Amino acid sequence: MTSSSTRSINTPAVVGLSVWVGVMVLISNWMGQQAHRWLPVQASTAAPLVDDLFSFETAIGTFVFLGVVSVMAWVMLFNRAEKYDDSDAVPIEGNTKLEVIWTAIPFVLVMGIAFWTIRASEELGTLGPMEHIHPRNPVEEVGGYTGDRLPKEQVEVIARQWSWEFRYPGSNVSSTELHLAVDQPVTFRLVSEDVLHGFYIPAFRVKQDVVPGRAIDFNVTPTREGVYRLRDSQFSGTWFAANQSDVVVESAEEHQAWLEQASRAPLQPGLSRAVSEYATRQARSNPGWATVPPAPPPQVNVPGSSSQPHQA
Amino acid sequence: MTTTTLQQPGTPAEHEQHPKHNLTGFIIFLCSESVIFLAFFSGYALLKTSALNWLPDGVDGLEWRMPLVNTIVLVSSSGTIALAEHFKNRENMLLFRGFWLMSMAMGAYFLYGQAVEWSGLQFGFTSGTFGGTFYLLTGFHGLHVATGILLMGLMLIKSFIPGNYSGGEQGVQATSLFWHFVDVIWIILFLLIYVWQ
Amino acid sequence: MTIATFPPEPKPEPGWGRYFSFCTDAKVIGIQYIVTAFFFFLIGGLLAMVIRGELITPESDLVDRAVYNGIYTMHGTIMLFLFTFPVLNGLNNLLIPTMIGAPDMAFPRLNAVAFWLVPIFGFLLMASFFVPGGPAYSGWWSYPPVSIQNPLGNLINGQGMWITAVALSGVSSIMGAINFVTTILRMRAPGMTLFRMPVFCWTALAAQSLQLIGLPALTGGAIMLLMDLTFGTSFYRPEGGGDPVLYQHFFWFYSHPAVYVIILPVFGIFSELFPVYSRKPLFGYVYVALASFIIVGLGLIVWVHHMFPSGVAQWMRNLFMVTTMLIAVPTGVKVFAWLGTLWGGKLRLTTPMLFCLGGLFNFVFAGITGIMLATVPVDIHVSNTYFVVGHFHYVIYGAAVMGIFAAIYHWFPKFIGRMPYEGLGKLHFLLTFVGANLNFLPMHPLGLMGMPRRVSSYDPEFTFWNVVASLGAFLLGVSIIPFLLNMLSAWIRGPKATHNPWNAIGLEWLLPSPPPEDNFGEDVPTVISRPYGYGTGQPLVEHQDEIERRLELQEAAA
Ligand code: HEA
Ligand code: HEA
Ligand code: CUA
Ligand SMILES: [Cu+2]
Repeated sequence: MTSSSTRSINTPAVVGLSVWVGVMVLISNWMGQQAHRWLPVQASTAAPLVDDLFSFETAIGTFVFLGVVSVMAWVMLFNRAEKYDDSDAVPIEGNTKLEVIWTAIPFVLVMGIAFWTIRASEELGTLGPMEHIHPRNPVEEVGGYTGDRLPKEQVEVIARQWSWEFRYPGSNVSSTELHLAVDQPVTFRLVSEDVLHGFYIPAFRVKQDVVPGRAIDFNVTPTREGVYRLRDSQFSGTWFAANQSDVVVESAEEHQAWLEQASRAPLQPGLSRAVSEYATRQARSNPGWATVPPAPPPQVNVPGSSSQPHQA
Repeated sequence: MTTTTLQQPGTPAEHEQHPKHNLTGFIIFLCSESVIFLAFFSGYALLKTSALNWLPDGVDGLEWRMPLVNTIVLVSSSGTIALAEHFKNRENMLLFRGFWLMSMAMGAYFLYGQAVEWSGLQFGFTSGTFGGTFYLLTGFHGLHVATGILLMGLMLIKSFIPGNYSGGEQGVQATSLFWHFVDVIWIILFLLIYVWQ
Repeated sequence: MTIATFPPEPKPEPGWGRYFSFCTDAKVIGIQYIVTAFFFFLIGGLLAMVIRGELITPESDLVDRAVYNGIYTMHGTIMLFLFTFPVLNGLNNLLIPTMIGAPDMAFPRLNAVAFWLVPIFGFLLMASFFVPGGPAYSGWWSYPPVSIQNPLGNLINGQGMWITAVALSGVSSIMGAINFVTTILRMRAPGMTLFRMPVFCWTALAAQSLQLIGLPALTGGAIMLLMDLTFGTSFYRPEGGGDPVLYQHFFWFYSHPAVYVIILPVFGIFSELFPVYSRKPLFGYVYVALASFIIVGLGLIVWVHHMFPSGVAQWMRNLFMVTTMLIAVPTGVKVFAWLGTLWGGKLRLTTPMLFCLGGLFNFVFAGITGIMLATVPVDIHVSNTYFVVGHFHYVIYGAAVMGIFAAIYHWFPKFIGRMPYEGLGKLHFLLTFVGANLNFLPMHPLGLMGMPRRVSSYDPEFTFWNVVASLGAFLLGVSIIPFLLNMLSAWIRGPKATHNPWNAIGLEWLLPSPPPEDNFGEDVPTVISRPYGYGTGQPLVEHQDEIERRLELQEAAA
């Protein structure tokens, strides 16, 4: 990098530097492609947007990192003091032209990333998560959507210490396993009965805190059939880690069939690992540090299973 | 508490004192202190603007006439303390003490007025966010007024040490600065709580 | 309890006693801070070992879930409030007065009070392990409503003690900040204008200004939290109309700037050490110095990047993303200036230099993951996952703690008067560098795959990287042994240090090692040029030859 400041053009240095920059560009590009493999499967419309952005950032980041590390490696290899050499090096105190260049380049790079991100966010806003926050329980409102994308289904998500409950008001169904129809936009209405929770489905690349006292509307379109995990992402107390649930994305017909079957099923206690673990824990002679007792499991039509394999 | 520590001279035995720095340090402290109030003010504004029902049941607004009298007294004490400082610089100790004492009395009157107001209120600090922020803001400010009066008392006692103020005592300067600070905070507080209803 | 915080077996050697007393000498206070901080570092590290022990298997099997939550909360709290801030204040105490030629801090008594608050709130925090119900367990953020749930309902509870301790830590830090800022502004040696001041002092000034602006907001927020917890107010309680998100704003308004309070002095350390060990002046001194204040300005307006998934409006997300990204610019100016300093130098890979180079490597990596976190859609996916944990351990352990180690090795001879051992130092570096990367790199794939942080159990697909991380962590635990060995043995019987063993330029190197209590006393030298005049042949102060000759004579006589 610094070699550009030498007065007379040093041809081998320029060639060497160009070759090395070329190699770094290739490596960065390759890393950018690799980045997709570090992420879970893409199961919503949001996922490709997020992943492309991340891949782009990985490429830029790799380039910056390699650039810095190359200079460090170079000086450690070729600019070491001789064993008994106590003398000082040539004192260069600065170079205004270089300062301007290395202020401008990062500025342009980060503003480029920011621009891309804002555009991606806008697209995400129309396709997926666009939060509408309002105080809990006022008049119903589904705004901000162009008519054709208006989500057909509304699912009420109730977070508790420590279980997830999903209600399908249209079909009069409740469940502790989330079922969604593929390619069908859905609105979640997130509410919490106690503390903060986080609604996080890694395969969908979406996450939204569930804030007690507010109802947050949140939209997603699943795009891939399969079983995924919903994880609590905002620390919510003792059984936070166990506060997970399955998300089943199925075809529209299967989904319809599931809803119908579920609506006929009797109410029964839903899944809550916290409740059973709490019972064993309290049975011990010294239960240990204090904990809030778990809320009783919600009464649901479909508890779901806790042991089916999931993809992400 | 920090305030008093700053006002005390360092240990004379081991260290050369740098009295000149006390005022610098104190001003830095005040700037920092103002951020706490800023935090409380913005919390108040945010909670108020987003509240569904701000006032607790049975409360319909705050009485503002008596607090207004209180405000006038407190704000004028900024003037009297400035006068006191002016006379100290003229080395007229008698008038200095007079005006200084007067500022103390006005501060005490303010605290008394606030106590009367508090005791007549229909709501406590657990009455929703309104009650909480009201007592938090006025209480925290009241604590500062009380501290100011204590500091003034200390400076008054010190003024009886012969020759104590001849070298230019920064304690008086700092105390009066603190008092102006407390006044400005009150004006903002008054506007936020009593005027913006 | 504080007695235990100091090196064991205090020999009846003269002088040890002052480390246990209310001494007002900044150099004594500096060492008190650093030793206390490392005592707590061991405790925080021990808790980290328990965390990694639990996470080496997917099930929650090593400790109870409630215990796990308490442990990670206390790990974060101890590492930040009882290790990082105290150790940096220790360096401030040692370096600021000696670097600017002041006899002491502006307010020596305030300084001592600020220090002694540390063992007091440290004790309070440790005591919370033993109250009924255990310590605070709601994370170092202590977000309500979890933090105000108080399951046992006792008046004295771990969470209440936690809030009190953090508030006391704030009081102590404010006292320190007033002192450091006043000292730097008012007590510089004759001739030392701001633009002749060492960069460490610039960064300390910048960092302490952030403390002064940010801390009161946290204190205010903490007072309200304590009232909600203890007196039943409802500032953050949704049932009473309160707003839990309000607390998040208060918390991050301080706690984001706090990360720059940590890293700025480390930038200062890098800027001091790279010139010494590459024998060249700091490249672009003025830009490096000023960039610190640009970071201060930007650092104050980015806090919402910790709350992207909390329920903030889209315009706010975009605005705070842009401000966050801009921080890469002044930081880049510094990074490139260091590279410019190294370029064409005559490098000596001593222990402090190795720690600086390793720290820079890790820092750039962490900065890049920071930029990824700043972009909203990516952050939405990885927020509150191990990706974030990886990001910040890279900065904090990989860059800040490594920079602190560099500083300790570099200035140890000056303030202790004895030389640390190079062999042990290099071993320490090697284990730290390898351990840290092995420990913290695997956290990034875990986060990308969707493993949340703060979990005591996880799905089996995350096992592989967790095992690697745990092994790295244990290596990191081992890495501390050569360090402690080095420090203790060098302190007790290391070779005597001359006044300037590294051939460095700076006022502190014109003092005997260790410096006398009042540093230069009456004859403070007059500064006549910029710092870092390596190779320029310009003396730093008037009569420099004379001063050095006198020091050499003294050393020869001893
Ligand atoms: C010393 C500590 C430190 C430092 C210096 C930083 C530096 C940065 N951090 Fe980090 N951060 C933390 C400590 C730190 N952080 C901690 C503790 C947390 C989590 C707390 C918790 O949740 O418990 C956190 C969390 C955190 C988040 C929140 C994530 C979340 O919870 O969802 C974000 C989001 O924006 C972020 C971003 C950044 C950025 C952009 C920087 C920037 O300052 C980095 C700038 C540096 C560089 C970019 C590298 C050098 C520059 C160049 C070589 C120029 C060229 C570069 C480019 C063009 C890219 N950090
Ligand atoms: C300065 C800050 C700092 C430092 C240095 C560290 C150091 C380490 N941290 Fe920590 N960490 C945080 C700050 C820090 N951390 C914060 C703020 C959090 C967030 C908390 C929250 O979410 O609220 C966190 C969270 C955190 C987590 C996530 C927990 C969770 O989310 O569930 C993990 C998990 O691996 C972890 C691991 C480690 C490890 C392995 C180290 C290692 O580097 C430690 C190395 C240890 C040593 C070098 C000492 C070894 C000591 C011994 C072997 C015993 C000797 C002891 C005695 C003699 C008493 N840390
Ligand atoms: Cu010791 Cu001044
Ligand atoms: Cu931040």
